[in-house]
Amino acid sequence: MTEIPNREPDLVMRLARLGSLHQSRLSFMRILTRRMAREGWRFEQTCFEIDDRGVGHAVYTAHTPDRAYSLIAFAHDLPAEKRSDRVIAEAWDATFTLFDGIPDAKDIDRLAQNIPLQEAGRVTSTELSVSRANRSVRLWEHVVSRLSTGQQPARDQIDAVGYLMRTTAVYGSGKLGAADREMIAERPEFSVPFQVEMLSVFLTRWFVIDLVQHMARCRAAERGATAATLEPAIARSIGIGNSTGLGMAPFLLNHPVLFHNWIAARETALSRVRSIAQATPDEISRFRMLFDRARRLVDMWRSDHPVQVAKLSALHNDTNLVASYLQRISLSAPHAWDALYNWAEDNLSLEGQEWIVSLMLEPYGALVDDLAQTMSADNTATFRIAGAMRIEDLRTLLRHIYAWAIDIDWTDPANQARAWYVSEEKLEPRLGERFEEPIEEYEQPLAPGRDAAALHAALRHWPDDAPVAEFLLRHPEHRHIVRRTQIVGRAPYAEIRDNTISGAVMPIDMLRCKLAFFGATQFDPRSDRWVRICMYRNAPLPKDLSHDTADLWVYPDLKDTMA
Amino acid sequence: MTHSLNEIEAMSKRAARGAGLSWGLAEEAAKGARWLSSYDLPGADLLADLLEMNDRLPPIDLAPVSLRDAVWHAPAHRMSPLIAGASLSDCAVPLMERGEISMENVCVPLLSVPFMGGAALRLGHPVAAEWRGARIATDGRRLCLQGDGAALRVKMAAKVVFTAPAEMKGHLEPVVRAHVSAATWDRLAAFAHRTFAPATELSRLLGAGAGADDND
Repeated sequence: MTEIPNREPDLVMRLARLGSLHQSRLSFMRILTRRMAREGWRFEQTCFEIDDRGVGHAVYTAHTPDRAYSLIAFAHDLPAEKRSDRVIAEAWDATFTLFDGIPDAKDIDRLAQNIPLQEAGRVTSTELSVSRANRSVRLWEHVVSRLSTGQQPARDQIDAVGYLMRTTAVYGSGKLGAADREMIAERPEFSVPFQVEMLSVFLTRWFVIDLVQHMARCRAAERGATAATLEPAIARSIGIGNSTGLGMAPFLLNHPVLFHNWIAARETALSRVRSIAQATPDEISRFRMLFDRARRLVDMWRSDHPVQVAKLSALHNDTNLVASYLQRISLSAPHAWDALYNWAEDNLSLEGQEWIVSLMLEPYGALVDDLAQTMSADNTATFRIAGAMRIEDLRTLLRHIYAWAIDIDWTDPANQARAWYVSEEKLEPRLGERFEEPIEEYEQPLAPGRDAAALHAALRHWPDDAPVAEFLLRHPEHRHIVRRTQIVGRAPYAEIRDNTISGAVMPIDMLRCKLAFFGATQFDPRSDRWVRICMYRNAPLPKDLSHDTADLWVYPDLKDTMA
Repeated sequence: MTHSLNEIEAMSKRAARGAGLSWGLAEEAAKGARWLSSYDLPGADLLADLLEMNDRLPPIDLAPVSLRDAVWHAPAHRMSPLIAGASLSDCAVPLMERGEISMENVCVPLLSVPFMGGAALRLGHPVAAEWRGARIATDGRRLCLQGDGAALRVKMAAKVVFTAPAEMKGHLEPVVRAHVSAATWDRLAAFAHRTFAPATELSRLLGAGAGADDND
């Protein structure tokens, strides 16, 4: 068997490519739905105390084989002028927490005082996440008014938006006093990253469907009428939106080992599939079937943002190119996956290349799904600087990892036009104009390329055999980037190999990359630093989750959507 | 009120940066405060003490003059436990070779202990520190305390002796939540606040890049 190596970090870790990633078998939502089905999780709504104005609370519990987790949802009556997706908002249509276990009345009372306040509230170690969501006003009203008059909502209206509510923040990992990830990371259901957050959103989607039905019933009842029940196929086509800004962008830079593990898992999966000598007829037919469904997903993807419009147009073209490639060649030829990948790299846009990479993994769950267990990270072992390393070796490492940065002319203002900083308001990460705003003294360490080039220059007159410890004693300002360099030396996908402060940087590339690992689809940038997405669209609702529905839901069923 | 360890780390990092430490040292100070808190030791309180004591002082004044000396001393006769601790961690291998490194006039010595944990993990052998009748040893995963517990909170120790390999006796149990007083939290928050850029109308509008209207 020919072993195809993992792709080179210099190829993979560019922002333009990371900003073109798609969901895959190794996305956190799909890892969760597969686990829930495999382990036979049981779901129940245990409380729905919401009045006819849509105000109150509800509780949804997921029973794993060993434990229970409950989403506690608080529904609010939000005036339109207060509806903002920004992190600086102070009120929302709905607020949530994922509770560790089954809450009693005292827990609900306590959380009712805190969860609706979000950042201004406080939670404890029995809470695993805190989140909130706003309605899509247009679609919400459409669905309520249709159902309340005995009709189903229009399919094209649903497809145009994709969700009834969008989350605007889902906090986990100890935020606002919640349980630290370390407290729960040993539980098998949370060993993969972001499973708490994905479970919270999965249950949120169920609540939102229940709430819209409830509001339709209330409206119908006012007229003494009976509302229609939302058709299951339509309910399934409704996901949960998410609206994300810069707050998420620094994550990939701040968690280098974790980021490496995500990318390495996907790259290893690709390498395993490219190394297959001969695909079986079953695998080929599965790929061809999903190819058609994945094209349908591309067709449903809407965006008005010029950058994404151009990328989508290229992706449409790519899907046509792949279709004709698949007519020309036989996937039963030897090493057909490797040939397909190599052809894609030569002929498709980055969107198309990464789309086909994700699709190639699909027939091979048995070969790649185990990699999900390699995607989390414990930073303890990598955090310490190896002070005994010789300057010569540090220099070699720098040239190996950061050649692209050492070659940049950092005296050109365009190459460091931006600065990342944290604003006083709700501690919101922002990106500013270094030479136009008074922000440089507040700059966050989110420009590894510039820092690596500066370190390289500072080392120039140091002798090769001096230990790094001696250099750092004189230059504590370089500790951050020395640590980073040593980490990337061991974890080559830990670094974005691109300038994160250039005048041309597109923070949405970082958001897209992270959200693709979550399993999001329908990326719809609202600006260069803000993106809306859809989660769990076409996924089974909890009661319909089974072995048959748990995995491939992300690809629309052609019968369903073409009808 | 209890805090999550992540909250302590996040607050400590910002506070240390606000007090003038480099980002790299601030990251290590924060990991250290978290690590001490996870053994129910007053990591956050002591960090606040140290930051107030050495607020914005030039690091070179508080750093060991030379790593080759048998006894490390700082030019200002007040050694930062963060800078010296980081150097100790960087010098894990020489520490093992020599068996002992001493430091003079160390501020808030307990804050140097997490760096011993880092050194111990690197060496695969426990490291110990002694000052004023207290002895504390760690292999990076467990912490052992012997002798005078009151010494742990001192703000200055005339001499601290680090040894490796060390013996582990009397384990402390790790905790998952930390108790930080509101007063300490406020002291750290005052430093952290220095790292936040005041919001302007322009930055509100441009800096986050959201759309104008979310009622859609």
